[in-house]
Amino acid sequence: MPEIFPVNQQPNAARVAVVATGIVSPLGFGLDETLVALREGRDCVSPVTRFPVEHCRCKTAGQVSDARLTGAGKPRLRSERLHRVAQMMILALGEALAQAPDFQPELGVVGTTSGGMTFGEEYYRGLKGGETSMRRAASLIANYTPQKPVMDAQEAFGLSAPCQVIANACASGTNAIGHAFDCIRSGRYQRILTGGYDALSEMVFVGFDALQASTPERCRPFDRERTGLVLGEGAAILLLENFDSAQTRGAKIMAEIIGYGVSTDNHHLTQPNPSGSGPRQAMEGALQSARISARKIDYINAHGTATPLNDAAEGKAIAELFDGVAVSSTKGMMGHSLGAAGAIEAVISILALQNQFLPGNINFRGGDAGLDLNIIANRSQPGNLRTVLSNSFGFGGTNASVIIRMIEA
Amino acid sequence: MSLGIAGMGWVTPLGSDLSGVWQRLLNGERASVQSISSPLGPAYPVFPVPAERAPAHPRLRRSSAISRFAVVAGLAALEDAKLKLDAETAARTALIFAVSSGGVIYTKRFYHEILESGAQAASPLLFPETVFNAPASHMAAILGITGASYTLVGDGAVGILALKMAEDLMESETLDRCLVVGAEETDWLLCDAYRRWRLVRAAPPIEPFKQPPRGTILSEGAGAVLLNRTGSVQLEKIAAGTNFRKQSEAGDSVEKIFTELCEGEIDLIVASANGTFIDAAERTAVLRSCASAKVYALKGALGESIGASSLWQTICGAQALRTQLVPPDLLLREEKGAHFSTGRRSEDRLRRAVISVCGLNQQVAGLRLVSN
Repeated sequence: MPEIFPVNQQPNAARVAVVATGIVSPLGFGLDETLVALREGRDCVSPVTRFPVEHCRCKTAGQVSDARLTGAGKPRLRSERLHRVAQMMILALGEALAQAPDFQPELGVVGTTSGGMTFGEEYYRGLKGGETSMRRAASLIANYTPQKPVMDAQEAFGLSAPCQVIANACASGTNAIGHAFDCIRSGRYQRILTGGYDALSEMVFVGFDALQASTPERCRPFDRERTGLVLGEGAAILLLENFDSAQTRGAKIMAEIIGYGVSTDNHHLTQPNPSGSGPRQAMEGALQSARISARKIDYINAHGTATPLNDAAEGKAIAELFDGVAVSSTKGMMGHSLGAAGAIEAVISILALQNQFLPGNINFRGGDAGLDLNIIANRSQPGNLRTVLSNSFGFGGTNASVIIRMIEA
Repeated sequence: MSLGIAGMGWVTPLGSDLSGVWQRLLNGERASVQSISSPLGPAYPVFPVPAERAPAHPRLRRSSAISRFAVVAGLAALEDAKLKLDAETAARTALIFAVSSGGVIYTKRFYHEILESGAQAASPLLFPETVFNAPASHMAAILGITGASYTLVGDGAVGILALKMAEDLMESETLDRCLVVGAEETDWLLCDAYRRWRLVRAAPPIEPFKQPPRGTILSEGAGAVLLNRTGSVQLEKIAAGTNFRKQSEAGDSVEKIFTELCEGEIDLIVASANGTFIDAAERTAVLRSCASAKVYALKGALGESIGASSLWQTICGAQALRTQLVPPDLLLREEKGAHFSTGRRSEDRLRRAVISVCGLNQQVAGLRLVSN
């Protein structure tokens, strides 16, 4: 196992605190429900109801309940014009701001892959169906754009920070958290709102189905008989602040982000280099950024989509870099929420640190031959965690890893 | 931190040669409009890109127009900087791609096939090209970039937000340069959408700053700026901007940006005025904060290209500082208190230029260039 040593780090770099989080996912609304579902290893994947899937191989996804989204955004915004992913963002941001009511971000850095895409689909279906004078057209067009949900969420709480909306496919959420971390660490910013969001859409669902990346069976990350991913949706917010500033004002600090690594794998638009070089470079970069060795990582929340190629490449990189570290993918429980995944999994990592447990990798029967990974099979386990690494990798060869450390009581 | 512009490249409806397009702008030329028909009946005017010369590369075999525009502009910026990336220099180069609507042609085609023929007929070849970061992935593969690559989405301000992100990234000593590329492609579907939003007009010209606003015309292409820590034209200040809730509040947001950027003497403002509500917002801000500056509205010549436009404006501002020339706004008249550009040659030295961007969907940003 190679040692990782610090490089190119400014000795006086600022520390970065997570002062609040919020989450909406198929696992539940809010941190408490999410924690319960994680501990139980609950399978929250269900038959797709939002659009027709009879001609798709895959017919399931992790879905957020519409009934519980209704009403998000009031009273500042008219909820009927909001996309449901904007409503998820409003709920997630609301939960975070309840923990840090005075938080005024200087910048927003969030990830998504398709924003309010279903509004675009509805608009196109209307056109195709001959509804040339659609009354809702202007609203659909204005609200389908990918940046809109985070702007709506800010507006709902009277915030108006400029937003950098990263669309790095499935790595978007982790890229957003990582870039926000770098921005505060450099001393250029004190407070940044970060996170990610995505909602299920027919086009994206069919796209993954056409690529045969999604599975007609259960999602089994790292299982030797895995057959693909299931999609999910959700939103998660992390409020990051300069550690000293947060401490000075007496803020409750949930965790500390200590490292971020990024890489671009030019092997193929949709397939990782089988060598695992892309994930490995991202994880090495995160370790270097954190100035820690691989031995200091207690748990990896893997990207673990359950596609044969992704898990093989990620697993190879983990096995080469780490020595028996606990690994699980939480996507078997809730599906792959694309641009939201990195943010949701960062929040899950923080919950794991705060509650000292290892989330389970459900639907697991046995790993790849010759790949020695310490998978937390099927059930969550008590853990002794201090430092966690979370991975996200995406189409276009985007790879990102962040490292999160617990705050000692 | 101040960044320098090391190289620039663009793909525009007036061509893809940096100095050639600049000369045409100085001559007062405007892009030729073409009509694209829609299956719904109406035809829409757009400013298309004349055939561009994308490199022969396996990654571009099936790629969309937007990817080709981005690659051509990016390579041109590197060539302008006389830089050929090798493994060592590529490792110290970051890539940021800015986009608004993205690969709309393939996206529409992919979804249309789903609706027409069912999910079982959906093309696995098309889908990956619909993803927002597909152009960035192709660029990274062609340039050999293996480190940081980001795709940013937003409205017309996204290019400035990308330059701001570059400024943040360049805080890292592990980077020597950052290539920022903005791109967009046109399609009847986009034209229809912006028409329903009451933002496009039925026929040219675009008449920036004319009241009441008559609407804009969409265009396509890409703009690329290679940033390093030197360079004769510097990005002196970037205002990451703010958001406005509704169109009637855009003026306040633009004014905030001008207040931030218009410190000291500003010689030139390259405005984002495009014949829509944003013109009045910009005009008021110019008159209140920067009335002595000469104003040039590039979109009258090149159209509104959303993701590419603010990079085009930045290139235009840098070219004005480099050449000490400003293109004429042939349709603008001198009016009380504002100095819209009417001539090629400036009487005084051009030293500082502000790039002002008010997007169509709530985002506002800007930057200030200075010539050393």
